[in-house]
Amino acid sequence: MTYVGIIITFVFINNFILSQFMGLCPFIGVSKNVESAVGMGFAVTFVMSIAALATWAIQNLILVPLHIEFLQTITFILMIAALVQFVEMFVQKSSPSLYKALGIYLPLITTNCAVLGIALIAVRSNYNALESFVAGISAGLGFLLAIVLMSTIREKLDSEWIPKPFRGTPIAFITGGLMALAFMAFDKALLNNLIG
Amino acid sequence: MTDMLKIGGRLALICAVAALCLGAVNAVTEPKIDAARVEKLQNALAQVSPGGTIGEEVLVDDAVVESYYKLDDNGKTIGYILNLKGSGYGGDLIILAGFLSDGTLYNTVLMEDDETPGLGKEAEKASYMKKYLGFSGSNIPSAKSQLDQTEADAISGASITFTGIGKALEAGSVYVTEMEGK
Amino acid sequence: MFKEFSKGLIKENPVFVLALGLCPALGVTSKVVNALGMGAGVIFVLIGSNIFVSLLKNFIPDKVRIPAYIVIIASFVTVVEMMMEAFLPSLYDALGVFVPLIVVNCVILGRAEAFANKNGVGASILDALGMGIGFTLALVVIAFVREVLGSGSITLIGMGSWDGVIKIPGLYESPIRVFSLAAGALLVMGYLKALLAWSTDRKAVKK
Repeated sequence: MTYVGIIITFVFINNFILSQFMGLCPFIGVSKNVESAVGMGFAVTFVMSIAALATWAIQNLILVPLHIEFLQTITFILMIAALVQFVEMFVQKSSPSLYKALGIYLPLITTNCAVLGIALIAVRSNYNALESFVAGISAGLGFLLAIVLMSTIREKLDSEWIPKPFRGTPIAFITGGLMALAFMAFDKALLNNLIG
Repeated sequence: MTDMLKIGGRLALICAVAALCLGAVNAVTEPKIDAARVEKLQNALAQVSPGGTIGEEVLVDDAVVESYYKLDDNGKTIGYILNLKGSGYGGDLIILAGFLSDGTLYNTVLMEDDETPGLGKEAEKASYMKKYLGFSGSNIPSAKSQLDQTEADAISGASITFTGIGKALEAGSVYVTEMEGK
Repeated sequence: MFKEFSKGLIKENPVFVLALGLCPALGVTSKVVNALGMGAGVIFVLIGSNIFVSLLKNFIPDKVRIPAYIVIIASFVTVVEMMMEAFLPSLYDALGVFVPLIVVNCVILGRAEAFANKNGVGASILDALGMGIGFTLALVVIAFVREVLGSGSITLIGMGSWDGVIKIPGLYESPIRVFSLAAGALLVMGYLKALLAWSTDRKAVKK
């Protein structure tokens, strides 16, 4: 698949939240206002792109040559946990203002299944290093797009009257469902028409 | 410093024990997984084969055809089984297809896919694949207009899968006729 | 003792009340049988990790407890993954990437951190059982609604000559397919949560 194809696929067609069911916890939990949604979105994009590249290296330089593919899950998740820790320390030292914006979201990312998800999907699709990286960024941007759209809608919902049982998370899920319905317009046919 | 060593050592110990246990479980399950994979392939090969002895797998460099098996009947090639890669809705489609030597599709099964349950996944059923059988070359349907009304209705909502399989089978059929023509 | 078990079923149901483990709750619930398979996998991992975290709670240094828990959980997940691929290949294919993703199911790490590292082995096993069954229950409810509406069938575990599929006349021929897709999953989840909030509210008013 071409790089343009990978980008369109992961941002729109296979949007991680709206069609792959990954990263739902932050999508519901951290989408109450736009500011935190943007912060979370960028933090996830950043970690996903590096994680996709790093896990590609683990898979193809360590696990496959040594025939220990069965340690895939355990090494990937440890890699991601270490990566998140490292990013946190690095950002804290190099850019205090960025740390202030992203800091509180970083620890939550280890257990965001979108990160492990993109690592596993990139490996299962046999992507090369650059393709994995591009897939990581695109999936992260898809996450950013969905969570920011969601947060703008939820800010509007705050000033509306909602039947009592639907207040809080139920209406958030229904909003997400309607967004997913809209995203169904992005399908493989669109991709085929765009790039043949 | 000793504290750091103690913490690191204990974590390393947990990791080592975990890795050893997984190695042990893997030693039990891996042969079973491999055996199941071989059995699945053998069953599928037998299912799509029009007859004859199935030869060795030959890998080829082609956009669609991944590999083929020659079908031999007392020194005469009666057909080929092709391992095809098509493009579906959710990802690649791996299709095993048996062709007669004139390129006519004898039988085919979908081995691997990532299609939507209830829509594209229907292609895993043998009844779905019936509409492709008995055709060759561009006569293998890959557009809705090539089907009658009931068949077209049955694939509504999943035309990408239908076209993906049809296109791959068409390329396979052409590949077989080219091989025979040589 | 019984309270440790029963709290996970409804009162602190991990999916509906605590809103944890949402990804698999929606990702694998297009068929009832997949929900049961995922639930069994999670129960196994949850019991295993709770036992070991509880046993090792004095051995694991506090500073690295999260990585240590992750290693323990990931090991059990890998065991489930390998066993499932070897003995139940069709279920393994159906659950796909969601099997290794059990690792990041927040229910499991959450119970290790919130319960097992403070309590004894017995209580931790009961807690794991309760939470695991509560999780499975929630998945089965979601899957039931989605499969009946989205595919017009109920797929249970097939035995002998019975393939395990109950077809619902009328719906099976022309199902409301959107319910088996992502959009339908989110909608069903929203309505189920609203229903739960409504019934809790009504009970509170009656008292």
